[in-house]
Amino acid sequence: MSDSAVSEVDTLPETAEPARPRRDPAKLVRTAAWLALLVVLLALPLYLDAAWLKAGQYMMIGAVGAIGLTLVVGQAGQLSLAHAFFLLAGGTAYTVLSGPTGDDRVIGFGLDPGLSLLGAVAVAALLGLAFAPVAGRLRGIYLGVASLALVFLGLYFGQSAEELTGGTSTGRTPAPFSLFGFPFTNDGPQLALLGVPIRAAERMWYLFLLLTVIAFVIARGAAGGRVGRSWRAVRDNEAAAAVMGVSVLRAKAGAFAVSSAYGGLAGAMTVLWFDILKPDESEFGTYGINVSIAFLAMVIIGGLGSVPGALVGALIVNGLPQVLALYSADLGWFSGTGDGALTPVLVSSFVYGAAIILVVLFEPGGLAAIGRRITQRRFRRQPPEEP
Amino acid sequence: MKRTHLAAALAVVLTLAACSTKAGDSGSSGSDSSGVKTGKGVTATEVTLGVMTDKSGVFKNLGLGVTQGNELWAKDFNAAGGACGRQVKLEEVDHGYKADTAKTLYPQIEPKVLGFVQLLGSPVVAALKQNLATDKAVAAPASWSSELLDNPYVMIVGTTYDVEMIDGLAYLQEQGLIKDGDTIGHVYIDGEYGKNGLRGSQFYAKKHNLTVKEVKITSTDSDLTNVVTGLKGAGVKAIALTTTPAQTGSAVAANKALGLNVPVLGNNPTFDPALLKSPAAGALDKLTVVASSVPFSADLPKAKDVAAKYKAAYKETPNGGVPYGYAVGEVWGAVLKKACDNKDLTRDGIAAALKQTTSVSTDDLVAALDFSKPGTPATRQVYAATPDATAEGGVRYVKPLFEAPEAKEYVAPHQK
Repeated sequence: MSDSAVSEVDTLPETAEPARPRRDPAKLVRTAAWLALLVVLLALPLYLDAAWLKAGQYMMIGAVGAIGLTLVVGQAGQLSLAHAFFLLAGGTAYTVLSGPTGDDRVIGFGLDPGLSLLGAVAVAALLGLAFAPVAGRLRGIYLGVASLALVFLGLYFGQSAEELTGGTSTGRTPAPFSLFGFPFTNDGPQLALLGVPIRAAERMWYLFLLLTVIAFVIARGAAGGRVGRSWRAVRDNEAAAAVMGVSVLRAKAGAFAVSSAYGGLAGAMTVLWFDILKPDESEFGTYGINVSIAFLAMVIIGGLGSVPGALVGALIVNGLPQVLALYSADLGWFSGTGDGALTPVLVSSFVYGAAIILVVLFEPGGLAAIGRRITQRRFRRQPPEEP
Repeated sequence: MKRTHLAAALAVVLTLAACSTKAGDSGSSGSDSSGVKTGKGVTATEVTLGVMTDKSGVFKNLGLGVTQGNELWAKDFNAAGGACGRQVKLEEVDHGYKADTAKTLYPQIEPKVLGFVQLLGSPVVAALKQNLATDKAVAAPASWSSELLDNPYVMIVGTTYDVEMIDGLAYLQEQGLIKDGDTIGHVYIDGEYGKNGLRGSQFYAKKHNLTVKEVKITSTDSDLTNVVTGLKGAGVKAIALTTTPAQTGSAVAANKALGLNVPVLGNNPTFDPALLKSPAAGALDKLTVVASSVPFSADLPKAKDVAAKYKAAYKETPNGGVPYGYAVGEVWGAVLKKACDNKDLTRDGIAAALKQTTSVSTDDLVAALDFSKPGTPATRQVYAATPDATAEGGVRYVKPLFEAPEAKEYVAPHQK
């Protein structure tokens, strides 16, 4: 899996000009760097405690969602604040599809969890497609506001469709994930890798890593290929894109559907991570406006349209509060209370707020642009024309 | 080339993994010289209890109060000799009322503790419910929904919102403020808290042929004037509230301003002494609050004792969380002593001891509690109180601990 994932990244269409005589050193270094990162991520469960793995999984949820959002906002130029709604849709779809049949309180189809995960992605994609007529007509801030309506729709449906979501008072428990009969819990075969028992936390880490790598590779492929070019063409100039034979409406609808599918996957990961699907009681919560804005923040910090940038954005926005909370519990930082006290949650809000302002003021291309400049200086050659 | 990279990387990983520090960690369990079985969170000299609280989020005042109550109890409990000769130590973490932070902090704190003396916040409790069951850790949530009782490791100190509401309506009827066949309004926050309160009024209404006008709101709504106007149009004889204190203020103010002037009944969390300094202060006389735990400055010997100790130890403004936190500690103390008598201080031992705990006395900080029937609220008794700016603590008791016959009949959602 890991090998093929990296080789796909390796052969990005823009960079793969036919039969270069000499190997491109920048490309090789980049490949090696991705590979090293993957190896490190694969090895982390052998060192990190369950709490850190849990935090890492939360960053991966953010990464999957942010990759989807960067495609639609950065590549296709459609501002979407509806991401939280697709998270809720995906989470609900997974829970309903995999839920046990014959429960008189909630509906369940009793499907295989792996199949349900695919189903959740499909349901979210279809919902995104259903929003396409709106997405096709509006642009800019108007689309942002229209898409925000979906979050409120989600709040309402989450509360009223109790047979699906379990309702706000109790929620419902999603079926634990298993793939081909292998459970991602403490049950099943007792595994150990180099003396480290591979239990729920470690298994979930590998599952989330696999999903993130798949999400990443597909997004890189889409952004680098024909689809991505049509998205960027529509983003930059709709008339010009239409002249060149790009169907503007189809490109827009496609981008929205793809991003929704990513949101759905992130949603299914969210319910698996929380071990519960519980619709929000107000517009702030696990599937609220705050989440939509957090995803937007990841995408802006990482650099609009950049897939690796979205990963770094997720690391900062979703990861920082978690890491600070873990550290502060360990080291007794920020132990003050009361109105003026600094707390991990507060500090990380400041950090990502400041990051957004700094990025917008000094580097609108985000961290991705900074990264590109560094590699460019090192190898003194034009980087591939990546958006 | 790529293959060499991979091979080299793998080799590095294998070498590193060979000296991984994580391997072979196992829970320490066994028994000490006096034959007491021990497990996670218990050493030869200490019993560690977890506190997952909110010191930085929306409920930081309550969280701080409950935590300080827990600390006061631990001090007293240790001074009295502790459990099985072991001193109680509290391991505190702050989740800022965020379920995701709590979910991450839980695996960090879980291996260190025997159980949780505090778990604040309904989203946090919901997210950790599965973990508590898997790890068999007994926890006292600072949330009083009877829906939580399907988990045998959840220990609710006090009665639940639904029972509070039934007792409260019975009190109103006893006072002649409502009668069979009346219409009453119930304003509730859609969620664990509000829906549980609504269950109570629905049950009571069925018994007494009342019509309940239900109004669902969200916790962020601030102005309830339109809601009360609607209830006035429906001809309600009383209004039940399962809301936030700010919403209570808005509802009682509208009740007065619109000339409706019907009695208002609120669950324990609907009232905050701060309301007495708000613009709604003049309209609070119609409000009756039902609760199973006492406010900070209740006129009880034990509450006065706790208040005095609090003033000696802390300088923050106290709230109702302090006596509650102390009372939860007392319950934990009773359970620890029982487990100690059984010579089993493991998590299984605590769960078993909890089920054997039939009458914990907290010296009236909370009504007497019986944890022997899983799924059933530990008590069905409440106090009825009314706001009074002249009384210390902001409320005056109008009826001491009582249990309505309807509350006795009521079957909680997970009652067997």
